[in-house]
Formats: sequence, C-alpha cells, structure tokens
Amino acid sequence: MAAVQTTSERALNKVAIISVLIVTIIFLAPIYWIVSTSFKPRNLATTVPPTIVFEPEISPFVKLTLRRSQLREQPTPEEYAAAPWWERLVFDGGEKIVRSGRGEVQLSGYPSRFVNSLIIAITSTVLAVAMGTFTAYGFSRFKMPGEQDWLFFILSTRMLPPVVVAIPMFLMYRAVGLNDTHVGLIILYTAFNLSFSVWLMKGFIDEIPKEYEEAALVDGYTRMEAFFKVVLPEAATGIAATAVFCFITAWNEYAFALIMTRRDAQTAPPFIPSQVGSGLPDWTVIASGTFLFLLPVAIFTFLLRNHLLRGMSFGAIRK
Amino acid sequence: MTTEIELRNIQKWFGSNQVIKDFNLTIAPHEFIVMLGQSGCGKTTTLRAIAGLETIDDGDILIDGEPVQHLKCSDRDIAMVFQSFSLYPHMTVYENIAFPLRATRMGKADIDKAVKEIARILQISDLLDKRPSALSGGDMQRVAIGRALVRQPKAMLMDEPIGALDAKLREQMRAEIKRLHVKQGSTTVYVTHDQVEAMSLADRIVIMHDGKLQQVGRPEEVYLHPANLFVAQFVGSPVMNVADIDIGTADSATEIRLQGSEKGFAFGDAALTGIRRDAPVALGIRPEAVLLSHSKSNDHLSAVTTNIEPLGSHDIVDVKIGGQTLRARTESGFVAGEGQEVWVNLDPEQAHFFDRESGLSLRKAQ
Repeated sequence: MAAVQTTSERALNKVAIISVLIVTIIFLAPIYWIVSTSFKPRNLATTVPPTIVFEPEISPFVKLTLRRSQLREQPTPEEYAAAPWWERLVFDGGEKIVRSGRGEVQLSGYPSRFVNSLIIAITSTVLAVAMGTFTAYGFSRFKMPGEQDWLFFILSTRMLPPVVVAIPMFLMYRAVGLNDTHVGLIILYTAFNLSFSVWLMKGFIDEIPKEYEEAALVDGYTRMEAFFKVVLPEAATGIAATAVFCFITAWNEYAFALIMTRRDAQTAPPFIPSQVGSGLPDWTVIASGTFLFLLPVAIFTFLLRNHLLRGMSFGAIRK
Repeated sequence: MTTEIELRNIQKWFGSNQVIKDFNLTIAPHEFIVMLGQSGCGKTTTLRAIAGLETIDDGDILIDGEPVQHLKCSDRDIAMVFQSFSLYPHMTVYENIAFPLRATRMGKADIDKAVKEIARILQISDLLDKRPSALSGGDMQRVAIGRALVRQPKAMLMDEPIGALDAKLREQMRAEIKRLHVKQGSTTVYVTHDQVEAMSLADRIVIMHDGKLQQVGRPEEVYLHPANLFVAQFVGSPVMNVADIDIGTADSATEIRLQGSEKGFAFGDAALTGIRRDAPVALGIRPEAVLLSHSKSNDHLSAVTTNIEPLGSHDIVDVKIGGQTLRARTESGFVAGEGQEVWVNLDPEQAHFFDRESGLSLRKAQ
C-alpha cells in the first residue's frame, strides 16, 4: 500500500469527491424543492425562473392542517385585528378558516390521513418483522421436510407485481367488509412485507452462531427463553434493518391505499395528490404535506442508523 | 458435586451414518475424563449427547443413576464450555457469568456473591465490566469456564476449550484447568484431539475412532499398553513405529524379522510370551525403544540414517532397515547427518505386537 499519495492519485481523489457531490446534489434537489416550496408564499411557488431566496413563512402548514374556504369578501379590519396570527396568514392568502357553529376551528383532511398512515405503517411493520423473525428462526435452526420449497414459496409471493391482484383483492375486501378499514390495509401491508422480512431475517439469524443458544440451553434456559434473551439481542441489527425497509414500503404504498380506502382509513399518499383537485392548486400546501410525510421515515432511519451500519460486536466467538 | 455419569449402549445415527456405535462408559465422581480422537470420530457428539444438545437413537445416559436421555438440557444440570467460548456479546463479563444463575431465579445478592467469588478464583475480577469482544483469548476462556462453574453444576463438559488458543497460552490454560479441577473436584468430561492435552489432564483417557470406543485407561496405561494399532499410533509423539514382521528362529533363539530385511532382532522368549503366532503380526515400537549405536555388535543390525529432526532436547532419527523405516529417539547430536551407517537394536521390553488384520494387541491385558 502506498503510504504517500502520488499527484495523480490526489487528482483522482478530487474527481471522485466532486462526482459524489454532483450525484448527491442531483438526488437532494427534489427534496430541497419540496422543503423550500413548503415554506414559500403561494405567489412565489410557481414563478419562472424559480425563486431561490425568499422570506420563509409557515402559512402553508396552517392551510394544510385546518379547514378553510375561499374568501367571498374581505374581512373587516375588526375581524382582521381580532384574529390570531395564524388566521391572519390565511386571510392574507385570500382564504378564511372554516369555523363550527361554536366558533371552533376544524382540522383539514390531512392530520387524520397522517395518523392513519402512522397507525397502519407501524402496526404492519411490527407484525411483519415479528412474524418474519419467528419464521426465519424456525427455518434457520430446525430441519423440516421441503424447507427450500417453503422458502421459495414464501418468496414467490413477491414475484407478481402487487397491482395485478388489486381488483380481486378489492372485490374480496368488499365482500368481507375490509374496504376502507385500518385492519384491511394492515393485513395487506403485513402480507406484502412478510416474505421480504422472512428472507432478510433468515440471513441475519443464520449468521448468529448456534453455540450462543446451545450455551443458553445448557445454562438452564428453555429454547423460548434462549430465543428472547440471546437470539433477539444478537439479531437487533437485522431486526432494525428489516423494520426500516418494511416501514418504508408500508409508509409509501400508494396503489392499494388509493383503491382500498376512501375516508376512514385513507393514508397520506393517496390524499396528498387528491388536494390538487379542481381549480388552481395550492402547491405550497401540497409541498408542506409532502414535507411532513417525509419526516417519519427520515427520523426512523436516523434513529436506527447505527444498527443499519452493522457495526455490532460479532467478536466473542472465536473461529 | 459427587456425580457419576454412565453411558450405556449409546447409538447415534446422522442419516445413514452411524456416528456413535454401542458406546459404554462409566465416569466416576470427581473423575477427569478426556475423550481423545480425530475430528469426526464421534467424541463431540457423545459430549453433546451427555449435555442434551444431541438426541441419541438408542441406549441410556444416566446421571447419578437416573436416566436423563429424555430430559431437556436445561433440566440436566450440566455445564458446558464450548470451543468457541460462546460468550454472549451483548452482555458484560459479569452478566455472562450471572446468566446461568438468573435461570435459577436466585436472589440478586446471592448472584452477586457467587459471580464475585468465581471471578476471584479465576482471577478475572477486574474484567467484570468489560464486553467479551474486549477480552483476550485466554480471558474469554476463563470467563467461559467461570460461567460454567458458577452454578456448581453436577458435571462439567468441555469441548476443546483451549483448541482456539495459541500454543503458549494453551499450555498455561492447561495447567490452570488442572488446578481448577483439583480445587473444585467436579466430574469433568473433556474433549480434545490433542494427545498432549489428554495425557496431561486426564485421570482416564477415552480413545475413540470411527464412532467406536477404542480404549479406556489411565494415561500411562494407554501409552504403555495400547489395546490396538489405532491407539498405539494415536497416542505418543512422535508416532509409534509400526512394521510388518515375521517371527522366526535363528540359532535356536526367537528372532523378529522386519519384512524385507535379511536379518532379525533376537528377542528373548520372555518378550513373546502370550503372543499368538498364528496370525500375521505387526510390531509396534516407540522411537525411544529403538536403540542406536555407533559400534558394531552381534545383536545389532546395520542401518542407514535417512533423516534427522533435531528437537533441542533430543533428535528424531529415521533409519532404514531392509525396506522399512524406523524412527529412533536419540540424544541430540548423536548422529551427525543423513546417509550414515548406525547399528540398531530394539528393546524387547517395550515391543508391542498387533494382529495385522484386526489391529488388536496380541498381548493379553496385564
């Protein structure tokens, strides 16, 4: 290994760094676009050329979360003065906040869609990872007839593009009353992710030496206890990675959510574009909804980043 | 901890391959048994069967007279040290040692006391807060032994516990294991393929080959009176010389002739008493019983040295007689180099005779 870099190596290094930077910028540009648009005043969102420097405001988020309607007539100065600051932002945009008979503000459709997304994605992730881990452990540790065939069968459920079964699924769901329910989507997403979870977890569990469990067994634990006390902590890395992937799949799923849900269980992905609706779309509101929608996955991945980097201590077994 | 382990007619198949063949052994309380054999001979499988990690297809495993072959390993109250140590990487040394005690629902204070006591005995008290990945090989091994001993199990099983260490550390840990056994006195079964380990540690050595028990005995018994050719060649370093011979008479004295050689070694009848002569015979003779001399004499045969291995304290010299090579152990520098003529004699007292077909020793057990 050359301890001292030659000139050509240094030049090559610079080229590499610059290429990585360019690629990174290309990938981050749409995200920057969404984030910046979600803080823009409405009139700056669609300017040509695009506005890069502007005074950020949070009116898009207010408009995103509260029910509002077009102003028919300008608010009186008294009304304007009496309104809280966030209501004035809406007034400034030529809209007003819809209030109930008792004067309470009402939430727009977005918050409940966002909560739906959270409930459905988290529950289906927990289910898929838990079931996947148990199944993978079974396949990894015990011999069973037709083991390879079963594993192939599990994988084969992913070989079809999911949308192909959308119509039959819709009809079946309608027959059993699962359309537009949380449970319906949770079952669907769990089923999507399960095969992936089984295969990924099997890889991770195969790597955990059997001796750990055997040591726990002779130390006086049952197999179940050994699984929870020894295998699970060792598999934490794999569980984290699998959970991130399952969560992203369930969180971002669009097609089935669009077909299977309308109101009660609708998730954010089909709702956000539906805001475009008729008339002049307010792109700042759509961008702010998208921006908030990006956050959970980013936070989840950030929290589990150490596990994802697989830096775990696989060092106490000597080979 | 006065536990007796008895194995009766153990049979074990892996598919169509029988890995333990009709295995019988009684291990006395406090005894240190070493199971010795090549890899794949069934010794580890036998050990795992005692622990309950492997089921057996037939036979009985009795611990203190109670059959345990149907019990789960957690119910057998046996501890095991693995070759890989198998320390749980997500726990500290303290937690690793406390782990078996937590299974017994022992009180916190008692656990703490027991862990600290065992750490003191093993001199690992200052490592208790560390993670296994931060330990050296020797310390990992001490922790693994500590984890096994802390519960005061009925018996200790060790599967090549020092096989993964380097040579110097292995010697040191060997002495330590011996010291611990003397102190704790737990019934121990130890598996290894290293005959030096076996000789130095064992009260009795159990030699296995191809799933079959070959010989059980004290180390010196196994060394001096190998029951068959396999044991003879497996125990002892360098390996015992084995040569095909004819037993004949010359000048009215009994003579041992290496096949391919004109002349033979005169053996007194005393050395051959009890030897059946009707079967094809192989002679087994350890290098220290092959005597070399520089001066010609009547009872010595002429031979040529073909190879010298200087080992410091002694040399191993290969000599060729007829078509066969014998290895001799000499004082260092006794033979200057290859191609020299030396005079060879064998010590009849240390000669072994084996049936060439069955491999069994032809001398009746003494």
